[in-house]
Amino acid sequence: MAEAVFVLCAVTSLACAVLLLRGYARNRVPLLLWSSLCFVGLAVNNLLLVVDLIIIPGRDLLVLRNLSGLLSLALLVFGLVWDSE
Amino acid sequence: MTSALCCVAGLFFLRFWRKTRDRFFAFFATSFLLMALHRMVSLYLRDDNEHLITAYIIRLFSFVLILVAIADKNRGGPRKKEAAPRGMDSAR
Repeated sequence: MAEAVFVLCAVTSLACAVLLLRGYARNRVPLLLWSSLCFVGLAVNNLLLVVDLIIIPGRDLLVLRNLSGLLSLALLVFGLVWDSE
Repeated sequence: MTSALCCVAGLFFLRFWRKTRDRFFAFFATSFLLMALHRMVSLYLRDDNEHLITAYIIRLFSFVLILVAIADKNRGGPRKKEAAPRGMDSAR
């Protein structure tokens, strides 16, 4: 059950990233670029989670996981602050 | 800190929603606030592997909400897409 949820998190976040990037390619809205960059980071975060907890359980990737999550969100908030009034 | 950033992003999207009344932003705001909740719950359940799954189901739900937002937006047609960036473009 836990494994399925971790894999689903990775798949859904990857789908979000791809769809948002496609949206940006079509509309060129800056907000979509920042959102898609954030979801690319969150997809990496979730892939690291799958690698860490399912594929190679022995390796502790907690620091990398937290760092990727933090960077993704920081990038989005930066974009939101930079691109709005 | 990541949780706080999620909250900030959620509040930004909430503001965009208030401005444009576009459901897309409401979905995004809910999703990011759920992500913040996920981070807080997993912090409290750090040593409890059995209940950690609850935290990740919240996270999964937040990603599904984004997918719903995108699907809802595409179904709404290109007319609504014009409204989405208004808040951003007015600053340019």
